[in-house]
Amino acid sequence: MPEKRISIHATRYDPEHDKEPRLQTYDIPFSDESMVVLDALNYIKSHVDGSLSYRWSCRMGICGSCGMMVNGTPKLTCSAFLRDYWPRAVVVQPLNNFPLIRDLVIDMDDFMHKLKSIKPWIIRKQEIPLGAGEHRQTSDQIDEFRQFSECINCMLCYAACPVYGLNNEFLGPAATALARRYNLDSRDEGLKQRLPVLAESEGVWECSFVGECSVVCPKGVDPAKAIQQTKLDTTMRFVLPYGNRE
Amino acid sequence: MSTSEANATPREYPWRMPANWWTRSRHYFWYIVREFTAVPLALWLLWLLVEIKRAGDGPARYSPHGSAPFVIFSVVVLLFSLYHSFTFLSLAGSILHFKLLDRPVSASVIVMSQFAAWAVASGVIGFFLVWLGR
Repeated sequence: MPEKRISIHATRYDPEHDKEPRLQTYDIPFSDESMVVLDALNYIKSHVDGSLSYRWSCRMGICGSCGMMVNGTPKLTCSAFLRDYWPRAVVVQPLNNFPLIRDLVIDMDDFMHKLKSIKPWIIRKQEIPLGAGEHRQTSDQIDEFRQFSECINCMLCYAACPVYGLNNEFLGPAATALARRYNLDSRDEGLKQRLPVLAESEGVWECSFVGECSVVCPKGVDPAKAIQQTKLDTTMRFVLPYGNRE
Repeated sequence: MSTSEANATPREYPWRMPANWWTRSRHYFWYIVREFTAVPLALWLLWLLVEIKRAGDGPARYSPHGSAPFVIFSVVVLLFSLYHSFTFLSLAGSILHFKLLDRPVSASVIVMSQFAAWAVASGVIGFFLVWLGR
């Protein structure tokens, strides 16, 4: 019986030699039904072409490093099974909406700046001394923000967002979801520090609710919901007389 | 030069959004349809303002514009406005976030209440239009 094989079309781009990205085809063995797209890239890197560049780390959907466009859809390549595509070829491209550094490696600096701008950590007006014990929360208080805390910064939501693709000044889905995660945390007191970033025109108001960010999220986070709820919150703070109080 | 081109270092290949991006996914396509339903609706509402101004000339001189193309346009606008309203109200569950009796109200209840409010409002407005037109 002939060996089962699959074609991988991967983006190649060498900034020192190529004017623009191109696709290169690799025909590799598809020997194991549990193979994922990342396994295919690793096979190519190890056995066919060691110059292929891409990011990956944990291989278990936790680190968020291996996000790429798989047949035009943003996916974590460690959880995109080849069996779902075979016998068709698989086209692997860098995440949309970001500048390309090399092959499948995108420049994520813009996202890192945006992430830092919303201060994704617990801000206290006055720190509680360690000796005072834990800052306890009820289950209901945790449920308020839990889903937004699942974000792994994989940037699939940015790749799926045409608003960000057209205007990369837009704060974007993941950064807003993480801002909401901290704003909803009963231990946090940093809302007023985050609001100037969230409420500006390139913040949540740039979003026109395409909703694809929530569709592609591999962790079940709903960034579109975070953005719309933040719009409502900022409006209420502006409209209601008591809105600006802490 | 786009922002992404400006931000890219010389050795990076900048991202360029293709003009046909909205045809590349069914979801994007229906998003664009949803957004553009507002355009004919706005045109129809502008025409309504003209009709109201004409009605101000008195019943003797007023005759509503009822040509076949206008009726067809109105029906199309009605369908567009129904689609726009349906998509807008369906998204309400993601937007509204509040508690009732100290428990969060589920998205499905919020969406159903929005549709119920829409039906009641349409019924009330329809009743008054018929009642005033008698």
